[in-house]
Amino acid sequence: MSQVSVPDESARAGVPETPAREGVQEFVYDDAIVRLFMGATLLWGLVAMLVGLLLAVQLAVPQASFSLPWLTFGRLRPLHTNAAIFAFAGNAIFAAIYYSTQRLCRARMFSDVLSRLHFWGWQAVIVSAALTLPMGITQSKEYAELEWPIDLLIAVVWVGFFGVNFFWTLARRRERHLYVAIWFYIATIVTVAMLHVFNNLWVPVGIAELLATGTMPGPEVMLKSYPVYAGVQDAFMQWWYGHNAVAFFLTTPFLGLMYYFLPKAAERPVFSYKLSIVHFWSLVFIYIWAGPHHLHYTALPGWASSLGMLFSLMLWMPSWGGMINGLLTLRGAWHKVTQDPVLKFFVVGITFYGMSTFEGPMLSIKSVNSLSHYTDWTIAHVHSGALGWNGFMTFGMIYWLAPRLFQTRLWSTRLASTHFWVGTIGILLYVISMYTAGITQGLMWRAFDETGRLAYPDFVETVTRLIPFYWIRAAGGALFVAGICMGIVNVLMTWRNRSRPYDRPVHRAPALAREYADRAPTYVPSETVSGLGHKAERFVRADWHRRWERLPARFTMFVVLAVVAASLFEIIPLFLVRSNVPTIMSVQPYTPLELAGRDIYVNEGCYNCHSQMIRPIFAETKRYGEYSKPGEFVYDHPFQWGSRRIGPDLAREGGRQSHLWHVLHFRDPREVNTNSVMPAYPWLLAETVNFEEIQARVDAMAMLGVPYGDAMHNAADLARAQAEKIASEIVEQGGDVGLADKKVVALIAYIQRLGTDLFKAPAADEAAAAGE
Amino acid sequence: MSRANEPMDHEYDGIQEFDNPTPAWWHLIFLGSVVFAFVYFVHYDLNPTSWTIHDHHRVAQVRELQRMFAEIGTLKPDERTILTVARDPKWGAVAEGIFASNCRSCHGENGEGLVGPNLTDDAYKNVKVVTDIFKVINGGAANGAMPAWGVRLHPNEQILVASYVALLRGKRLTGLAPDGEVIAPWPEVGADAPSEAPADAPAEG
Repeated sequence: MSQVSVPDESARAGVPETPAREGVQEFVYDDAIVRLFMGATLLWGLVAMLVGLLLAVQLAVPQASFSLPWLTFGRLRPLHTNAAIFAFAGNAIFAAIYYSTQRLCRARMFSDVLSRLHFWGWQAVIVSAALTLPMGITQSKEYAELEWPIDLLIAVVWVGFFGVNFFWTLARRRERHLYVAIWFYIATIVTVAMLHVFNNLWVPVGIAELLATGTMPGPEVMLKSYPVYAGVQDAFMQWWYGHNAVAFFLTTPFLGLMYYFLPKAAERPVFSYKLSIVHFWSLVFIYIWAGPHHLHYTALPGWASSLGMLFSLMLWMPSWGGMINGLLTLRGAWHKVTQDPVLKFFVVGITFYGMSTFEGPMLSIKSVNSLSHYTDWTIAHVHSGALGWNGFMTFGMIYWLAPRLFQTRLWSTRLASTHFWVGTIGILLYVISMYTAGITQGLMWRAFDETGRLAYPDFVETVTRLIPFYWIRAAGGALFVAGICMGIVNVLMTWRNRSRPYDRPVHRAPALAREYADRAPTYVPSETVSGLGHKAERFVRADWHRRWERLPARFTMFVVLAVVAASLFEIIPLFLVRSNVPTIMSVQPYTPLELAGRDIYVNEGCYNCHSQMIRPIFAETKRYGEYSKPGEFVYDHPFQWGSRRIGPDLAREGGRQSHLWHVLHFRDPREVNTNSVMPAYPWLLAETVNFEEIQARVDAMAMLGVPYGDAMHNAADLARAQAEKIASEIVEQGGDVGLADKKVVALIAYIQRLGTDLFKAPAADEAAAAGE
Repeated sequence: MSRANEPMDHEYDGIQEFDNPTPAWWHLIFLGSVVFAFVYFVHYDLNPTSWTIHDHHRVAQVRELQRMFAEIGTLKPDERTILTVARDPKWGAVAEGIFASNCRSCHGENGEGLVGPNLTDDAYKNVKVVTDIFKVINGGAANGAMPAWGVRLHPNEQILVASYVALLRGKRLTGLAPDGEVIAPWPEVGADAPSEAPADAPAEG
């Protein structure tokens, strides 16, 4: 491959594909799109981390939500996670993929138009997320909170723009074989598409109503959707998605990034091609199974939980294969690590990857999980991955790319090194304080004293104890934010010194010939080895894999087979075997008012701090009551089990407190509990419920098979009657008058219902009792 | 076999790859985890006699209740029991724990009243005699303002906390103003009650 430089004007977007003589073609890489994605990475990285910092402070100082709806923890936490994953890490992997794929394929991206549509479409997704999540427009499934119209946009951008552009570039490549980075990109694109589609199967409430009645409901209902899955199955699908978002959005593309940028920066060959093969396929096949480890000790059937744990353990080595291949690539280049901030970031990033992928399998062991689940240990784990692995791999890549994309020297290597140290200290403060907080709280929840009572019976004690750690975490986060600011300054200053116009080197390579003979197998059978030995040797030599590497369609098909087969092994039995969710006769659908209240619960993001899943662990049933049964959730579209207890579990909250207590508690939690860290929700006492629109919600639920009976026709009247009753009870209990049409009453109706059906007589008995 | 530390005969954008073998320890741990997974699943999930986490929980629950209540057996919600059992320092502490988990949020840190009434004065809304305390705890009162704890707490726990509440009377802590009717003092109970352990002893926690 030879290079010549031409001035910018002659190389317009997408042009010089002129077929030269003897099949040699000339082409120019599209680096402008990489510059766009890189800029967006830094911008959204700063936004995501600033929101994270605000949330960290809110846990120490609950007043930091300023009684504003759109600043509460429940609404902002999804914004933080979505921004960190899809905006920061997302733009970073697109920058990596657009830069490296063109070079690894020796081809410009297939279509500059699709590249731009991908970029601007993705930014539109991010902006819509930033607008809707603080407004409480959410599906409440973690990292899949965005409502259905944005889901559709994501699908179009991911598959229609990004996927088509990428695969068409592969089709027009001038490099015969696909390098390992490309394998990981392929796995990313097809699996994320599959996860996104199947976790986001919903019925849009407003559209359903429009089709059924011909009237257009208001925007609140138009933007609302209910997932087709309920309870146990919804939880399973969500964590199948949630876990594999980590796998195929935060792991595989970053491994691809590592396989390109690390050997480039270190100028050393990759340690082992064989290891690449074996760890790629084992990772892709095994990761998919591991989702249920997010649901240990819940109402998920035991076999699914066991599979989640066991496949997580099996995942340890496939993950470490990536770490080994990364770190050992640096053999012979360690002296460069002391000089080059790029390699510093990569070394620490890969080390955090190794630590997280050891910790992950460990946390998936059921007995470890019984301590760690619902605590800050999980938060520490994800941040060692997100800040250490995703963050530092991104920064390393940006410091390597910036001088090349702007065709000048990096403005300050010293500042980049400072960023590295400040960031590293930030991560350490963050994760060490959160490990301590997580283990502290987990042990406090399960501690008994010698008389057999809970040592910390008041939940808030276990939160108050963590406040000092929350301050340390906030300090660590602030350091990490300071680091990213240094990065932004450095990149901006480098950009100011860019070469104008940019050099557009023209590359030359022949198009791929149609005919291709694979290299003869290197293995010559010897007479002394048995037939089986021959086969094993041939397998280990991996010439068969080398052949796959030049057949992208077949390679992609095998990846799809691996992830689909692994998924179906768990999904089919869970959906088809009835015994997984035994029916409980006394469990009935929510009343229309309770359903409206449940939607408020979802909008406010209560699940971000409150679980609704009591595990069969003695300390837990002692604190919260009877453990949760799978049959209790059959009408929960979506499930609300949660994943973190910043506040107590609410699965059996119904009837535990008076209505009045809830009213006071929502107005200002510190009125009834001085040490509470819950935000105040005064607007729930002021905003009214739109009773007329409850019918649409009920109808959508009925479409999903919830047996609503009478409420199919008079949801609004039923809801009003129940609201009047609760409001008058509040007055009897000494509360304010005039709450009957307020959101707080709907929410209280829902909360007072939680977990109570289990103790009721089945409906038939009730009817008999009423007839007496 | 693989040629260690020799680059293979291909490169991508200048990136070469070695033909090093995968480390042996990598294979061993990977295979080990696969074997372990197989054995674990057969033993715990395909074996009908193996215990589930629910079995473990049931046993832990029974064992813990035995440990807690072996000494006092099954309590009866009668006047004498309610007026004496929480005077014992140990059972008073247990009762206080139950109060802390379930009652504090409405009745205040030490029963001085918050959303629910002050329990330390002589005025009561739904109690005429001491056994009514148990009835109110068990079945609730005032249209759900006072929730029913019958399905949430073990009967012994309900009686212990009723006793704790009965003994709060007369402390007259500053809190909500008296609400309801002033009722006759609790009757005196027999001398075999551990009178040297005053009712307010556990309240220091």
